[in-house]
Amino acid sequence: MRSVYVLTLRQLFGRWRLLIMTVLASMPVLFAMLTVRSIRAPSVQEFETVVFSAMLAGSISPLIALAIATAAFANEIEDRTLANLTLSPLPRWQIVVPKLLGAVTVAGPFIAISAIVTSHVAFLGDAAATFAVAGAALVGVVLYSSAFLWLGLVTTHAIGFGLLYIVLWEGFFSGFVSGVRLLSIRHYSIALMHGLDERRFAAANHLSLGVAITTSVIVLAGFLLLSIRRLRRMDVP
Amino acid sequence: MTHSGTVFDIGYQRYTGPREGRNRARLAVFKDGVRTALGLGRGARAKVLPWFFIAVLGSIALVMALIAGAMDRLVGPEAADQLNLPSHTDYYGIASILFFVFAAVGAPELLCPDRREGVINLYLVRPLAGSDYVMSRWLAFFTVMLAVTWFPQAILLIGLTMGDPDPAAYLIANWLDIPRFLAAGAAFAAYTTSLALLTASFTTRRAYASVFLVGLFVITTPFTTGLASEIEGPAGQWISMFNLTNIPVHVNDVIFGEASVITRDAPAAAFSAPVLVGWYAAWTLVPAGILWFRYRRLTP
Amino acid sequence: MTDGVAPAIRVDHVSRWFGNVVAVSDVTFDVMPGITGLLGPNGAGKTTLLRMITGLAGTSNGTVTVFGEPVRNNPPLYRRMGVMSEHETVYGFMRGRDFVRMMGRLRGAADLDAQVDRAIELVDLADAQHRLMGTYSRGMRQRMRLAATLVHDPDILILDEPLNGADPRQRVHFQGLLRRLAAEGRTIVLSSHILEEVEQLADTVLLIVNGKLAASGGFRAIRAALDERPYHVRVVCDSPRRLAAAVVALDSVDAVNVDPDGAIVVLSRNVRGLQIELPRLAQLASVSLRRVEPLDDSLESVFGYLVER
Repeated sequence: MRSVYVLTLRQLFGRWRLLIMTVLASMPVLFAMLTVRSIRAPSVQEFETVVFSAMLAGSISPLIALAIATAAFANEIEDRTLANLTLSPLPRWQIVVPKLLGAVTVAGPFIAISAIVTSHVAFLGDAAATFAVAGAALVGVVLYSSAFLWLGLVTTHAIGFGLLYIVLWEGFFSGFVSGVRLLSIRHYSIALMHGLDERRFAAANHLSLGVAITTSVIVLAGFLLLSIRRLRRMDVP
Repeated sequence: MTHSGTVFDIGYQRYTGPREGRNRARLAVFKDGVRTALGLGRGARAKVLPWFFIAVLGSIALVMALIAGAMDRLVGPEAADQLNLPSHTDYYGIASILFFVFAAVGAPELLCPDRREGVINLYLVRPLAGSDYVMSRWLAFFTVMLAVTWFPQAILLIGLTMGDPDPAAYLIANWLDIPRFLAAGAAFAAYTTSLALLTASFTTRRAYASVFLVGLFVITTPFTTGLASEIEGPAGQWISMFNLTNIPVHVNDVIFGEASVITRDAPAAAFSAPVLVGWYAAWTLVPAGILWFRYRRLTP
Repeated sequence: MTDGVAPAIRVDHVSRWFGNVVAVSDVTFDVMPGITGLLGPNGAGKTTLLRMITGLAGTSNGTVTVFGEPVRNNPPLYRRMGVMSEHETVYGFMRGRDFVRMMGRLRGAADLDAQVDRAIELVDLADAQHRLMGTYSRGMRQRMRLAATLVHDPDILILDEPLNGADPRQRVHFQGLLRRLAAEGRTIVLSSHILEEVEQLADTVLLIVNGKLAASGGFRAIRAALDERPYHVRVVCDSPRRLAAAVVALDSVDAVNVDPDGAIVVLSRNVRGLQIELPRLAQLASVSLRRVEPLDDSLESVFGYLVER
């Protein structure tokens, strides 16, 4: 398993990729710094809608996860090196799980640092708030990565479908239709942030912490199982 | 014993017909670009994404038309006018993100695979310069984007016309909408094509180009909107100008003479028309120019 | 099953189609230890068949068993199998030795470092093993991939076009290596469209044409089985026409052609008979024979006949 994990790390680290992710991840930080400096600290509502919901959980986190997690399998399929892994006695889950861990290891720190610094600046050093924001953002990354890992295994147009999902489902519908929230990773993230620091983020019309945790676990397990199943049944190039 | 060599005549004949030149080559690259963008001739899977987008875009227009028609019938045309329902002016503002994602996903298909697989060299050994190749690709995607931006507006027009109690009168009263949305659509198409293709020219993996483009559009939006609303005055207005999704929408507003639903509150709307159009021109022509330069010096 | 030894690989009525295209059609054969060559024109279905044998692809119909177990979705079987696909991509960012080491570890090789050393020795790349694979030449990449295939000492080797881009020296080295490995009791399946490779190496040949198994066995035996086609024998002598006139009288001779350069080509169904008769006829006609050579006693001609059929 460690071999697959290390291999994935080496495959996913690339100079340009890291540069772009740094740029993307620093945007919420910049935003928080600029607003705090110019007027005042953003209100909780502002922070949540603009910084967290729209930027961190809604766009930056899924985009970074999309770029990294789809590449985990899609690049191997495109380069035709996936057979190196499947033609081994490893049980298939021992191929899927390290791939996911590798993707999260590469994408996670960017989001985590971005979330930590942003909330530190915005909430003037409140540790509990920082923990809540970072924790929720990280969980979001893990969930998105599991979904996109599977997508990269299933189609060569993973990016296209992933973008459709991010823009239409997470970006559009889940804002309007409350039932969709139950199936929206962005909203799990938001609910987790609320739940982890209820003092500051009093929940309005959101999912409860319990529901969010349950659905998150189901989504993660579900996509892992789907990936394993796909790996078993597909024709490996 | 030495064997002498023999060449057998197996019927191979040289081509003696007319040989067409550069223009024919350009046309071929153009046609191929259009087919690639729409997934034609490439199996069912390749068609799903582009046509799904087109369907969604058309549906949005359809819904807008239906709402307008329903309102007309419910409260009467004058009252409905008062309600200021979204119409042609607003369509591009509402659907802009979808156009950008369409371009982000589709444009890299035209440039990246050729460079990745080395096929670009096959093109360049023909009577085709690098600049010919890229301009044909630009025109191809621009054409597809034109169709994609005009199609929903056409649906909206038909819907609004049919929905009106007196279609003929509606058309006569609103015929100016047609050249307006054609122009606004063309502005959108040119902008998205230039930016998307330029980004695609920097990498050989389609995926990276797509993600970078979407990141660019999707992230600058809340970033600049949020900042601009906090920071007042000219600084805020200029920050708002960097909202890349709004640049062509401002041009749309200029063409229609009124601000759309989306850009009504944008600080950048305060700028005069020449500034907005000039800004748009910069963001469309400069990327196209860079694209041309990048490909001009390519040799096989 | 021959003389009680179980086949290493059994392919049983295997077919594979992709939509409307049938890539492999009802193929059945057993593979015994030794070197088996899978031969056929491009597009004949060799690669698809190999992928089904290795379990990378599933069958539309039929089963493939390796050592008695189904090969598909059976990861533990890969401990005993080594597979080298036709794709040449390697991880350019890895050093050769690290690559072989990683593959050995993934496949459960026991004494890892020793095995890696041995495998790299076998392919003669000990000097280059610490360089990045992105800097290797094509031939070196192929050899390093072969080392990665051998590192866990598999009982079965499946190689798809392994000599793609190999220079003649590498080819000889490789052939020697394979023969040694086979002599140790391994089962090797080798696919190629290069006839000389298969001819020189394989004990058994499987000919795939248009997705079907056109022939199997030693190639001479296959040739003999194609008895509706006559053998071509080229004879150089000092009086071609006189000899031709004598030879054409034989029953087993279908035709005699006279080449522009003075040799005659005899088409005969019975080469043994011709072997005996030719010197006698030559003597009777006072013709001295300079050279007698079979023109098609090679895989190439067998192949050609089958593809044309």
